[in-house]
Amino acid sequence: MYIDNIAESVRLCAVNTDKFKTCRINVTMAMPLDGNVSARALVPFMLQRRCAEYPDFTAFNRAKDELYGATISAGVTKSGEAQVINFGLTAIDDRFALDGEEIGLKCAGLLTKLIFEPLTENGSFPPDIIEQEKRLLKEAIENEKNDKRRYAFTRCESVMFEDEAYSTNCLGTAEEAQSLTPDTVYAAWQDLLKRANVQITLVGSMKVQPVADMLRKKFNSIERDPVEIKTKFINSVSEPKYVSEEMTIKQGKLVIGMRTGMKDENDSAAAMRVAVDIFGGGPYSKLFSVVREKMSLCYYCSAAFFRAKGIVMVQSGIEDANEEKARDAILAQLNEVANGDFTDETLSFSVKALSDAVLGNNDTPETLAAWYSAQLLSEKLRTPEEYAGEIESVTKQQVVNAAKTIIPDTVFMLKSNGEVGDENAD
Amino acid sequence: MQIKEVKNELLNEKYYEISHLSGLKILVMPKPGYTSAYAIFATKYGSIDTMIQREDGSFYEIPEGTAHFLEHKLFESEDLDAFERFAVTGASANAYTSFDRTGYLFSCSANFKKNLEILLDFVQNPYFTQATVEKEQGIIGQEIDMYKDVPDWEVMFNCLRNMYSNLPVRIDIAGTHESIASITADTLYDCYRNFYNLNNMVLAVAGNITVDEVLEVADRVLKPVKGKMAQRKRIEEPENVINSYSEEKLPVATPQFMLGFKESHEAPERTAKEEIAMEMLLDMLSGPSSDLYKRLFDAKLINSSFGFEYFTGFGYSCALFSGESSDPKTVAEEIKKEIKLRRESGFDSESFERTRKKLYGRMIMGMNDVDEIANNMVLSYFAGEDIFTDLEICKTVTLDDVNELLANNLDEKYSTLSVIMPTE
Repeated sequence: MYIDNIAESVRLCAVNTDKFKTCRINVTMAMPLDGNVSARALVPFMLQRRCAEYPDFTAFNRAKDELYGATISAGVTKSGEAQVINFGLTAIDDRFALDGEEIGLKCAGLLTKLIFEPLTENGSFPPDIIEQEKRLLKEAIENEKNDKRRYAFTRCESVMFEDEAYSTNCLGTAEEAQSLTPDTVYAAWQDLLKRANVQITLVGSMKVQPVADMLRKKFNSIERDPVEIKTKFINSVSEPKYVSEEMTIKQGKLVIGMRTGMKDENDSAAAMRVAVDIFGGGPYSKLFSVVREKMSLCYYCSAAFFRAKGIVMVQSGIEDANEEKARDAILAQLNEVANGDFTDETLSFSVKALSDAVLGNNDTPETLAAWYSAQLLSEKLRTPEEYAGEIESVTKQQVVNAAKTIIPDTVFMLKSNGEVGDENAD
Repeated sequence: MQIKEVKNELLNEKYYEISHLSGLKILVMPKPGYTSAYAIFATKYGSIDTMIQREDGSFYEIPEGTAHFLEHKLFESEDLDAFERFAVTGASANAYTSFDRTGYLFSCSANFKKNLEILLDFVQNPYFTQATVEKEQGIIGQEIDMYKDVPDWEVMFNCLRNMYSNLPVRIDIAGTHESIASITADTLYDCYRNFYNLNNMVLAVAGNITVDEVLEVADRVLKPVKGKMAQRKRIEEPENVINSYSEEKLPVATPQFMLGFKESHEAPERTAKEEIAMEMLLDMLSGPSSDLYKRLFDAKLINSSFGFEYFTGFGYSCALFSGESSDPKTVAEEIKKEIKLRRESGFDSESFERTRKKLYGRMIMGMNDVDEIANNMVLSYFAGEDIFTDLEICKTVTLDDVNELLANNLDEKYSTLSVIMPTE
C-alpha cells in the first residue's frame, strides 16, 4: 500500500493491483456534525451532476457514457460525530478500452474538476441549480420515512442523543434545506475544501503519481485550515427513555439504543465487536437463534455496533402485541452474554465469521476502497488482515467484560394506528 | 464426465462447464489473487412455478409461495440445521427465492471445501415435519406483513397485478397468509422431488478455488438421481391489461409510481439479443443521458430515483418505468408522448454508439465481484447461454434492431400506471 500526505490533513492511499477489471477512486471528506449540515450535504449531490466544463448534466452524463459508462456518485453519511462526504468513481481498466484511451486518468481528471471547478455564476452557484438541488435534498430527507425500518432507527437516534451532536441527521432537516441560498451553499463548499479532513483512496492498476500530482496541485492552491473532529463517548445512562409512535403500518418496528463503556473508538473495539456479534450478529447469535428461531417473535432481530460512537443499536420487526415480550427477551439475551452464558464454540463461530467477512473486503475495488475510506479519521491505516488478527485474538473474558458495559438507553416503538392502507383500481 | 472451457479473449477470462456424472451442471471460475470464494447451488424453481407435472403429462396446482417456503425449510435437518453447520466454518450463508429460481449460497475466505460439502449436503437432504412447517408459517407471515409496508415492493406488485390476469408473476413471492396456511410437509416433499433433482439444478462457483477442489467434493457428496428438467406450463394470458390505473395509500412522503408496458409474445421467452436491444432502447429513451430525463428533471417531476427495467421471464415481458414524483400521471403522459415522438423520428447513431459503449463498460464492471459472477453464471446457464454471450451480443446489436423494437413495442394501449399515494 502506498501512502502520501499530499496536503495538510489530506492523505492519499493507493492499493495497486491488476486483479480487478475496474479501478476505483474515493474522495472522502469529514467535517464536524454541526453547523451548516444541510448546506454541506447539498454540496456533493450538486457537484456530482455538472462542472464548469460540462454545465449541463445531460452533456456530463453523455461524457461519462463515452468513458465506457464510468460512474461517479456522491454520498453523505455520519461516522461518530463527523459528517462524511464521499465521491466515488468506478471506471473500467485501461486494458479494456477499445481505442487505447487512458480511461482511468481521464475519469480522475473529471472527478477533480467536479470537486474543484464547479459551475458558478457571479462568484456564487447559479440560483436555478440551487433551487433544483434544494428540492432533491428535501425529497431525500422526507422520503427517509418511506423505509419504516430506517425511519424507526433514526427516530430512536434523535430521542437517545437529544443533547448530543450525534442526533443530527447527516442530511440535515427539510426546513434547513428549504432555507439554503446560493451564497450559503457556496460558502459551505469553500469551507469544505479548506477545513475538511480528507482521504483519497485509489484501488486498481492505474498509475498513482499523475492522480496524486493533480490532486496535490488542487489542494495546495487552497489555504488549508483543517478542523479537529471529536466524538463524545457517554458511558452511563441517567434515565432510560421510552417513546412510541403510530403509523399506518402492518408490522411494528422495535429499536433499542444502548451505550457501552468505550472511552474512544479504539477502546476494546475488537472485543466489543465480538460481544455485539454474539449478542445479535450471525445465525449463531442470541437474538437470531433464540428470539427469532426459538421464540418465533420476529422476522428480523439483530444488533449493530457503531464503533465511531461506541453504541449498540438493536432492531426488530415484530407484531405490536409482542412488544413487551420481545423487549424482555432481547434484554435477557444481553444479560446472558454479559454473564458469560455462551460456549467457547459460539465464541469461535463469531470470531471466524467476523474475520472471514473482514477478509472478503479484499475482493472488490468498491469494498476495499471503502475499507480504507472509513479510516479517514484514524492516524494509522489498518489492512483487513490486521483487523482480522485483532478479532482472532479476542478472549472470552474480554467479550464478557465488554458486554458488561452495554446498557440500554432508549426504546423506540413504531406501531400500527389500526388503519389499513386502502387499495383500489379503476 | 465432460469438462468444457468457456473463454473470452477480450476479457482474458475463462471458466469451466462440467457435466457431472450425477446429472448436475457445475460452473467454475477460478479468480487468481482473490481471497474469498462464493458458491451458489440453484434450482430452476421460483414463485411462478405454481404447477407440477404428473407422470402422464398433466399438471396440478400447488399453493402460492411454496418455493419460498421450501427455501426457508431446507435449512433445517433432523439434527444440526445448515446455519449451525456453517457457523463452524465461519462462512456467511444465505438463500433467496425469485420469480424463476431458488438459490442457496455461501461466501467464505477459508474452509472452502468443507463449506461446499455442507451446501451440497443440506440441499440434497430435505427434512420437513408438520411441526416445523407450522412454526415457519409464523415467521413467513411476519415477512409477508413486512413487505406490505415497503412502498417499492407494493408499487411493483400492484403494477404486475394490473397487467396480468393469469400469469403467476402477479403473485407475491412469499405467497399470502391464506396460501401458506395450506402448505403441508407433503406439499414440500412433492415440490422437492419435482424441482430439486440435479438435472433441474446448477452449481456455480467463483473465486479463490480450483476445478479439482470443487470436483473432489462434488464426486464425494453428489448423489445421482433419476429425474429430468422440470417442464414449465405455458399459461394463457390475454393481450390487454386488467387495470390501466391503480392507487394505494401508504405512509410515504412523495407519491411513488410504476408505469408498465405489457408485451405479448409467441415464444415463451425473449432472446438475449432482444433483451439487450431493449435495454439500450430504454436507456436511450429515458436514461440519465436522455432528453426525456432532462425534461422531467427540469420540470421538477422526477428525482434521481427515476429508472427503468426490462422485466422478463417465462411467458412474460414488460418495460417498467418507476420513481417518486409529486405528479405521477403527468410523468406517465410525458413518457408516452416521448415514445410517440421517438417512434416517428427514430434514434440517431451517435446516441446509439454512446449507449453501446456504456453498456459494454457496465458488463465489464460486472466481472469483478465473485457474487455477481456466480449469480450471472446461474442466470445465463438457465437461459441456455454462457456469461460472455451478452458482451458478444452487445457488439453486434444494430441501431436498426433498436428502432424496430421501438416500432413494435411500448404500446400505450397495453400500459398501466400503479401509484402509491401518501396517507395524509
